[in-house]
Amino acid sequence: MLDQLGNGLLLGIIISVASVALSLLYGVTRIVNFAHGEIIALGAIMASFFSNLPTSRYIFFENTSPLGLSFELSLVLSVIICGIFGAGLELLVFRPLRKNNFGNIAVLVITIGISIFLRHLYLIFASSKPQDYPLDLQRRQQYFLFDLTPRDAKIIVYGILIMIIFGLFISFTSIGKQMRAVRDSNELANITGINSDKIILYTWILSSMLAGTAGIFQGMINDVRWNMGFLILLLVFAGTVLGGIGTSFGAMIGGFIIGIVVQVSVALPFMEGHSEAKNAIALAIMILILLIRPQGIFGRKERIS
Amino acid sequence: MKVSRKNIIGLSLIVFSILSIYLLNDEGPTRILVNLLAFAGIYAISAIGLNIHFGWTGLINFGHAAFMGVGAYTTILLIPHAAGREGSINEDGLPLFIAIIIGLLASAIFGLIIGLPAIRLRGDYLAIVTIASSEIFRLVVRDQEDLTGGVYGVISFSDVFQQIRPKFLEELALRLDVSVGQLWVASFSWIMVILLIFVLKRLQNSPWGRALRAVREDEDAVRALGKNAVWLKLQSFMLGASIAGLSGILLAFNYGTLQVEMFVPLLTFYIWAIMILGGVGSISGPIFGSILFWAFISETDQLASIIFENADGQQIAGVRFMLVGVLIIALMILRPSGIMGKKEELLLDVK
Repeated sequence: MLDQLGNGLLLGIIISVASVALSLLYGVTRIVNFAHGEIIALGAIMASFFSNLPTSRYIFFENTSPLGLSFELSLVLSVIICGIFGAGLELLVFRPLRKNNFGNIAVLVITIGISIFLRHLYLIFASSKPQDYPLDLQRRQQYFLFDLTPRDAKIIVYGILIMIIFGLFISFTSIGKQMRAVRDSNELANITGINSDKIILYTWILSSMLAGTAGIFQGMINDVRWNMGFLILLLVFAGTVLGGIGTSFGAMIGGFIIGIVVQVSVALPFMEGHSEAKNAIALAIMILILLIRPQGIFGRKERIS
Repeated sequence: MKVSRKNIIGLSLIVFSILSIYLLNDEGPTRILVNLLAFAGIYAISAIGLNIHFGWTGLINFGHAAFMGVGAYTTILLIPHAAGREGSINEDGLPLFIAIIIGLLASAIFGLIIGLPAIRLRGDYLAIVTIASSEIFRLVVRDQEDLTGGVYGVISFSDVFQQIRPKFLEELALRLDVSVGQLWVASFSWIMVILLIFVLKRLQNSPWGRALRAVREDEDAVRALGKNAVWLKLQSFMLGASIAGLSGILLAFNYGTLQVEMFVPLLTFYIWAIMILGGVGSISGPIFGSILFWAFISETDQLASIIFENADGQQIAGVRFMLVGVLIIALMILRPSGIMGKKEELLLDVK
């Protein structure tokens, strides 16, 4: 079980970062974003596109070949692209929808359409073959209790760092405070002179950048696939709901718990030989939580029936 | 059916799409048409079930694929079949019709199990719970290889269904130069569609149907009138689920094999696209939606293989799915009531 704890920690960090992004977006805009997984995948695929060598065996669509930049630079570039993409989604799709008073359900269905569209765009662009980043293989080492490669350890440290910075940003900066104000009540925030359109735009950018980062992490420990976003999306939902949808701190902890549960459950006695079904456990936990405590562990009470 | 403008638009769109199949395909257009009609009929049944959930009662069900899957797996595993890695043959089984009825009941019970806890949740939460349940179903079926054949699936079960086909179909199939098996699946599905529409038209204006729509409009008012809104929702969930089960069974017979990957969440969203295209809440909408949807995607395959010469098969299929995404977005923005739907019956703008 202990060997799985390291993997759990790693997956936990990734889901945690993605859940925080999803939860922030839901809190501020009330959009249940099914296209979140595709933004996660965008980060991973873009990083692969920037970093792989043009001569590599990875196939991108006919006329575009990978660029072969350094991995660090590709990482930064793809996170920026994710931010721009999020801004584009808000400006081109969701702001007009909001101005025309589209209901929550209609917007939800539209995010599904966007998700299906993007996922298969990736399939056409990046082909169905799994791709790896041009990173060297590393040996596992012992860190405290955990068996991890140095790169894994780095991901965990950076993940925690990102969340600390995010926490400080949302708590103490002016924009962070305005985001929380819009989350609590859009009208009241408007009355106090907050430009909620601007804040929602910033939220989209921040959320997409976090999601892209999570995607790159996921690509670093596994591989990059066109459908990786949808595979991880339901786990991200589980993390968000477990911690309390709309809360940032809750989503952090929730995503973390889900990641650890998924990986550690492989080592449970009754799961022997059933490791493929590990995600089912996380989803079952999510459903259970929604039944017992729909507001999640850290959420505020709210009518959801 | 009274002839309204909507009906004329819908019918002419269907005629146009069928004509386009004959115009665009030089070889075996009839075969393509029968294939299309088989899928369209099966998906129309499923969309009718979803329409009861969403169109009539306002329940956001994103786990429709699992309802189809439960029906299909229950029925197919009860009739003679071969399953698993070795394809171990199971020769004795129940008669087909009893197996189908048990399959439909199983779907309804599955709907009850999912619905019982989930139905009290607000719209978007219900969406998350149902899609998660459908993924749990898929993962468990994949995992329980001894029972369900796991990733290897179930095969050799179609004979029972083909034995009951009427004899004149064989002659007809020979004349049209199409596969008789698929012709039978297509005809059976469309008979079921017509039957369902007939029954549901009656049901829609019954006290029960009106109560369901009242639940969609204002649950508190229904409660105030002394109706049990939760129980009404559950009934709607079960009815829609067993209709989905029927379409799952037919889908398995159409493919001739039962694979767990047939019931991925994408299938649910296909059905959603068909329902929205046909018209949310409209009973005959799914017919139009389904035929148009299948004509649309079978033609895009051809177009895609011309535009992207170097792409592999999966990428070509990607173009089709991509357009389904565009279709959903465009419909929701431009015409959320679809071809046949009524704007005032649309629940989509509820906060």
